[in-house]
Amino acid sequence: MSNGYEEELRALVSEIIEIPPERLTLNADFIDDLNVDSLRAIEIVAAFEKKYRLVIPEEDIPKIRTLGKLIEYTKDLQ
Amino acid sequence: MLLNQEQIKLILPHREPFLFIDEVIEIHGKDKIVAVKRINKDESYLGGHFPGRPIMPGVLIVEAMAQASILLYSVCKPEIARGNPEYYLGKVKSEFLSPVFPGDELIIEAISVKITDNAGIADATARVKDVTVAKASLVFGIKK
Repeated sequence: MSNGYEEELRALVSEIIEIPPERLTLNADFIDDLNVDSLRAIEIVAAFEKKYRLVIPEEDIPKIRTLGKLIEYTKDLQ
Repeated sequence: MLLNQEQIKLILPHREPFLFIDEVIEIHGKDKIVAVKRINKDESYLGGHFPGRPIMPGVLIVEAMAQASILLYSVCKPEIARGNPEYYLGKVKSEFLSPVFPGDELIIEAISVKITDNAGIADATARVKDVTVAKASLVFGIKK
């Protein structure tokens, strides 16, 4: 995965959760570090699915707790 | 008619005068439902909005869309909906395009964008006959 892709995802997520992109490190936990609740979480998933035309099954959503995990997960989908 | 108001009341916790769905007329799998709300002349809010020129408030059209979205959720997650969870609206992006008057029949379509056990996103439109009167994207949560 290129850095461009990482930055694209960082921009997408940071806009939804309303934090500066630089705070969204690869290992920052969405829930514990960034206060992402279930509503913001589903917004991230829906925005991701719309942009990349992929479906994240519901059972996989709890496993994606960081930007790094989201990137890693996408590798498996592609 | 697929769901009448008595069946709707088994799903929605809302009651008159804050129940804004009369019936569900279409269910398209887990993707979409179509519901109806008839705007009666004696709706409680019309006397004040506005005296002499009654118009359905846009926020109540959004409420009708939110209630239709809960009904859509109940189609997607029937086992959770049967437990009568709490539903709450988290975020709405809406657009109002045309006024709705007493006597109008509001047709509300709610389309699933993403629905999980504890949250949902639905895109909704409301129309009177063939005229789209409002559009909204709704993010809602479910507390079991």
